[in-house]
Order: sequence, then C-alpha cells, then structure tokens
Amino acid sequence: MTLEVALLFLQQGIASGLVVGSVYALLALAIVVIFKTSEVPNFSQGEMVMAAGYIALYLLVFRNLPLWVVMPATILAAFAGAALFRRLILNQVARANGSPVNLVIATLGLSYVLRGFVRQTGFGDTPRSFPPVIEPQSIMIGQASVTTLDLVILATAVVVMAAFFWMFKYTKVGRAMRAVGMNPKAAQLVGVDLTRIHMIVWGLSGAISAVAALLISPKVLMTADMGSIVTLGFAAAIVGGFTSLPGAVVGGFLIGIIENLVGLFVTSRAIVLAPFLAIMLVLVIRPQGLFGGRVEIKKV
Amino acid sequence: MADHLLQVHDLTVKFGGLTAVNRFDISVERGTIHALIGPNGAGKSTTFNCISRFYQPTTGTILLDGTDVTTMPASAMARLGVARTFQNLELFGELTVFENVMIGAHVHAGRTWRDALSARPPEVAEHAEHLLERTGLTAYRHTRARNLDFGHQKLLELARALAIRPRLLLLDEPAAGLRNREIAALDALLTDLCRREGITILLVEHVMQLVMAISDRITVLNFGTKIAEGTPEDVRNDPAVIEAYLGQEMAHA
Amino acid sequence: MSDKTAAMAPRSEASLPAGWSARGIPFVQIALLALAAAALVILPFAVTGYVLYIANLLLVFVVLCLGLHLVIGETGQFALAHAAFYGIGIYTSGLAGNAFGWPFPLSMLLAGLIAGAVGVVIGAVALRMRDIYLALATFAFGEAMQWVFLNWDRVTGGPNGLRISPARLGAFEILSDKQAYPVVVVMALLMLVLTIIISRSRLGRAFRAVRESEVAAMAMGVPVRRAKIVAFGLSAFYAGVAGSMFATFSTYIHPDSLGFQTTILVLTMVVVGGLGSIAGAVGGAIAFGLISEVLRQTPSYQEIIYGLILIVFMMYAPRGVFAFIRDRMGRAARG
Repeated sequence: MTLEVALLFLQQGIASGLVVGSVYALLALAIVVIFKTSEVPNFSQGEMVMAAGYIALYLLVFRNLPLWVVMPATILAAFAGAALFRRLILNQVARANGSPVNLVIATLGLSYVLRGFVRQTGFGDTPRSFPPVIEPQSIMIGQASVTTLDLVILATAVVVMAAFFWMFKYTKVGRAMRAVGMNPKAAQLVGVDLTRIHMIVWGLSGAISAVAALLISPKVLMTADMGSIVTLGFAAAIVGGFTSLPGAVVGGFLIGIIENLVGLFVTSRAIVLAPFLAIMLVLVIRPQGLFGGRVEIKKV
Repeated sequence: MADHLLQVHDLTVKFGGLTAVNRFDISVERGTIHALIGPNGAGKSTTFNCISRFYQPTTGTILLDGTDVTTMPASAMARLGVARTFQNLELFGELTVFENVMIGAHVHAGRTWRDALSARPPEVAEHAEHLLERTGLTAYRHTRARNLDFGHQKLLELARALAIRPRLLLLDEPAAGLRNREIAALDALLTDLCRREGITILLVEHVMQLVMAISDRITVLNFGTKIAEGTPEDVRNDPAVIEAYLGQEMAHA
Repeated sequence: MSDKTAAMAPRSEASLPAGWSARGIPFVQIALLALAAAALVILPFAVTGYVLYIANLLLVFVVLCLGLHLVIGETGQFALAHAAFYGIGIYTSGLAGNAFGWPFPLSMLLAGLIAGAVGVVIGAVALRMRDIYLALATFAFGEAMQWVFLNWDRVTGGPNGLRISPARLGAFEILSDKQAYPVVVVMALLMLVLTIIISRSRLGRAFRAVRESEVAAMAMGVPVRRAKIVAFGLSAFYAGVAGSMFATFSTYIHPDSLGFQTTILVLTMVVVGGLGSIAGAVGGAIAFGLISEVLRQTPSYQEIIYGLILIVFMMYAPRGVFAFIRDRMGRAARG
C-alpha cells in the first residue's frame, strides 16, 4: 500500500464514516437517553428503527403519500408507539416484582414481536429499497467521493442532534428528564411525574430512531433484519460512555469512521467484526468510555 | 503498655480534591468496646471502610494485631478474624436467615475442592444454629432475609458477622433505626460479646444513649480529624466535642 | 413481629435448591419424577425417530439452561456469550471425531474442558465489569466468536458449515437418534446431578452470596472475583458439553445457529422457567424447546409468539412459571 493510496483511503474512510456515523450517533443517542433515565439497555432499538422504516415505506409506496407527509407521520407514529410501549408494558413489568433484567427481556420481547410482525405482513419477505429524498449526485470532497444525499443525511442528523441537546438543556421537560436520570426518587419529590417523563423519554427515543430510519433507509437494503444495525449504536454508546449523551454522538462518528477505515484498510469481511472488537476493547481498557464519569465505587 | 488489637496510624483519605480523613490515628485495645463518633460527614464511614478494606487509604497504615493489612483486599479480612456490618444493611435478601448466617461460616469450612462441594459441614451448621439462638432468630430460620422486619434484619447482620468467629467486630451504626427496647437488647448483646467472649468491638454510632452506655473508650472525629478521645466522661465534657455537635446529642445522652 | 408470623411465613428452601420442598417428602414432585424417569426409559421403544430427535434436542437445551442457570441464576452475572461456548463444544467434539477419530466420551470431555478453559480466560477479563457492561462485553465476545466460526474456513468450514462424522466408541458408531439417545440422556442426567451438588454446596452458597450482595460477600470472606470466574467457567463447560451432546446426534453444524439468537433463546428459557431455580431451568428448557420446535416451521409466527410470551411473562409472571404456579397454589391453599 502506497502512501497515496493510504491517504485516499483515509479521506474516504473519514468522509463516508462521518455520514454513516451521524446515523449511528442518532442511534446511540436514542439508546443512551433511555439508559440514562431508566437504566434499561433497550435491545429493541434496532427493531424500532426497522419498524419506523417500514412504516415510512408503507405510507410512501403503498399509500402514495408525499414525502413531506410521510416523514412527520412516521416520526409521530414512532413517538407514540414507543411511548405506549413504555406506558402499557414496561410500567407493568417494572411494577411486577421481578429482577431488573426483566425490563431488558421485555425489550427483547418487543424486538421479536416487531421483527415477526414485519415479516408476517409479507412486507419484509423480500429486501426492499427506499426511494431517496433527492437524487444522489456524486461530489468530491478532497479525494473522497460522497453523494449529495450523504450530505443531506449528515446535515439532518446534526440538526436533529442539536435540537435534541437544546431541548435537553433548556426546556422544562429536558430538565425533568435529567433529574429523573440522576435521582428518580428525588425528582418525584420535587413534583416530577415519573410515568409521564418515562413515556416522553421513550417517545423521544422512538422519534430519534425514526429519523435515523428515514436517513439510513435510502442507503441500505431494507429487510426485517435490518435492526441488527443496533449493534453499531451500542458500540457507539459504549465508546462514548454509556451514560453520556455527547459521548454517544462522538462515539457514533468514531464508530462510523472506524468501520469504514477497517473496510478499506483491512477487508470488507472484517467490517462486521469491527464494532464487536471496539466494544470489547473499550470495556476492557476504559469501561466508562470516552466521556463517562468515573466508574462509581459503590457507597458502603 | 496497652495491648492494641487494631492500630491505625496517620490515616489520610483523599477523594479527588476532597480530603475526607486527615492524618487520623486510632488504637483499639483488645477486649474493649471502642466507639467512633462525630457529626455527619466527619469521615467516620470513610475510616471504617478503610479499616475493613473497602476503601484504599491515600496514606497511612493499618495494623491488625501487628500485621500490616493496609493493602489487603476486603475479602481477606474475614479470614483474619475481622467481621463487619453495614450501615445500609447488606443482607442476602433472597436467602433465608439460616443461609445468611451459613455464609458467614464460609471462611471456616476449609479450602479444598471437597470442602467447596460439601453441602453442610456439621460443625458449621451447629455454629449457625447457635448464633441464631443467641440473637433470637431461630424462629425465622426459613424466612427470607428481605421479609424480616427491620429490627430482625439488623440482628441478622450481626449474627452473620459473628459467624466468622471474629476477634474484631466492626459495627456500622448498629443502633440506627432501632426502638428503645431493641437498643437495650443490643446493649446487652454487645456487652456480653465483649466481656464474656473477649471480642473487640469498634463501632461507628450516632445513638449516644448506646455509645455512652457501653463504650470503654470513645474517639471523636470532625472534618476528618480527631478532636477528642477518652472515656465517655471525658468526651461528654469536652468543649470541642460539644461545640462540634452544637450541644444537641450531648445534652440528651 | 410475633413468632406466629414466622410460622406462617412460607417455608423457604434452606439447603435445597429453590424449587424443591424442604418439608419432608414432596409427593407430587416424586410422582412427577417417577413419571419422567419412566418416560425417559420407555421413549426410544415407543416413538419415531423424529420424536427422539426432539428429545435429544430438548436434553441439549436442558444442559445449556443448567449452565446459564449457574452463572446468571445463582451468581447473578449476566454473561451473554453462551452460544459461543456451545459452538466451541460442537466444533471441538466434531473435529475430535472427524479428524482424529476420538471416541466420543473423550471428545465430549474435551469439548467441555476447552469451552470451560476459554470461559475462564474470558471471564477473568470480562468479570472486572459489572451488570450492563458485563452483558455487553460478553455479547460482543459472542458475536465476535460467531464471526470467527463463519470465517475460519479451515477449521470450521466457514459459511459452508461442518459435516460431523458419526460419534464412535471402538467399533460402535452412533448412526441414529435412537442410538444417540442413551448417551444424551446419561450426559444430561450427569449434568443435572452436578448442578444439584454444586447448588447445595458451599460453592453454590458463595455464588448466591455474590448475587445477593457482592459487598457483603467480600466482607464474609468470599473471594468474589474468583467465584464469578468459576461460575462463568462452569457455565462455559456446560455449554461445551451441550455442544458435544449435539454433535452425537447431528451430522451438520452451521455458524448461523451459534450467535446471539441462540444465547437469547437459552436466556429466555431460564428466565421464563424461573431465574434462580434448577427446576425452572429444566422446565423452561423443555417447554420453550418444544415451542421453538413447533414454531420452527413458521419463523415469523415463531418470533411474534416468542416476543409475546416474553412480554406477557415479564408483566405477569416475573419470577418465572414455577414461581407463578407455586404462588397460585400457595394462595389457593391459604383459601
């Protein structure tokens, strides 16, 4: 490998990595926002993305609704669906006196139901492609080749993330969410309605997943199994520090870049392995990730 | 020269920029009951956790009967005859009262693989039963620890700690949350353990009624530093102590 | 609280593993056991090869579940790499037979030992972490192992899978499910007995102490880290043995069935059966194994039903089927 080629790969890897990484960042954000407020790793996050993607596909292709209707409709549907799941199902699981892992298993249950449902409706039996919002044209950035669609994806993802952070930091709801994440009992004492906040958190996570779905679907082949993308979201969240929202974003971009670089410099076979290696490495070397606080010593 | 089972020299514990304990010394005489008191946030728990090896001191030494235990892991202390209870109760909730105490006897059940796989070495089971009698928990043998009422849970913590057959018993706020009747029973039990069986007891406590009644010696900590030490009488009348507590608990003791 | 309350408190399982009555002879359970024993013995003479195949498969699941029970149920460590060790067991056993012609008792032992050894190594690294981090790290390891299974063509056959030649002992070859059945049953029973011994022993008590309160366990002198690693290694050993059992009645293995899906299936069996109970692990294995086979024909229905079962159980029978039944029966008894 010559230096020239290496530099080319590097640029391409970073450019493509940033694009797909922005979507991973959204995924990681969706995962972390739930984990931060309820200590539940949501194993159905990928299926939430998949389901949102199929809802959009259905509305677009089978109902012939225009894109500017489909997008908000999908996001709204995802918000509502996720919030309802939290309210109707997870609340009950949390109330039943089992171990905390039961909540995680319930999310696993949801992932199975969503996958099976999509497969069952005959929708997911063949891979489908999602029509892109604009016709992708190639652009060169330096020596890297990207498309206009890529840029739209990146820009949209960044805007959504910014909006999320703004909401989290400056609105009443955002503050309530933070309070619940830090100390649910105390938050309750100052009047925060836990049930409502949990619903909103899940709804938000669903909405963000829907955005991720809308962004990534044009680039990938849609199948009922596309939820496996969630591993990358988890990898991103771990790298960034599982309880850090900014970390999730940084992690997402990093994972995207690493994934692409591995594909270019090593072999495309190894791409699938990359996130798992990243997870293991981070957890062994620095379990709190890049931005997670010091791993807490239990108070005795 | 007094015979000290536990000697802590120059203990300093820093968390980040915060100094929780500053050059603290304490020596506990064998066969006595020694109390460590002080206002909230004084550093008592931190000291306690260092002695029981759950925290790592920044500097200082901890000697148990002459042996330097400063860097030993927490799980090594039981074998050395040091047992402790926890402020927030760390019972094995799903396990029965009997099982809880049996685990305390773990250290004395031998170290071979055969021992590991043996179900109920008779001497160990006997000892557990005896402890249940001692603490009045025999009737609750088969009750899951999480189903006991608070007073009995505290007794279970104690029984479990005693299963180690300790020479040094570290009690973290044993009287917290107990009713007067229960505190009196605790008083009797602890005194008994010390006088009759020679177990050395170091306790962190806020309930002055108990502290004053059973302690041979009291050390007072405030802002991570020792501010007084002596017999209950000495400490009760020490102006620095009174000031630290703003006269509240002292007046009631 | 008076002594009367204590007398009414449910007699908990003092020295027997959860799920067994401590009160003298439990007639219902003995009857069930006798029935099960009879069924096990008669089975090969009374049913078709397919049913025997299912029986063999269920027994493999039983061993898998017992292994997961030890590490998650007893010790509280959420290790999610079970399928990886299962795979290691299958490949070790298969290869020892294929390439080296080893007799199956030896290859089964080897499968368990190698899986267990890898488990100890991974455990030593992963068990420095807690809870969610442990789960994620082991999950990642499991997926990485599946990648290895898929890509190490020379050893595992890669994406083409591996043909497993019949298990043999001297001149005797296992060529059918019926022939494999006695071996599988004996192994499953051995592992069950081992589990009961461990659970009732000091080691089992140490596991449970670690699960309930690591801090208190440390204070009681339990070497927490070592206990966790032993638990993890044991669970890997069980998974390896289960893999070798599978290799005795299967002619082919593909890495597709050695990933997170399989680990989750076993986890589901254990949780729905009843986390922390041996009977729960066994019952969950059999019940869910049957459901899984029945639904294999319709993968999408299978997924929906799994998911719904998981959700419903977590909502209304959070401690598993057996605990649920016991609670209901207890409530009925009290009138």
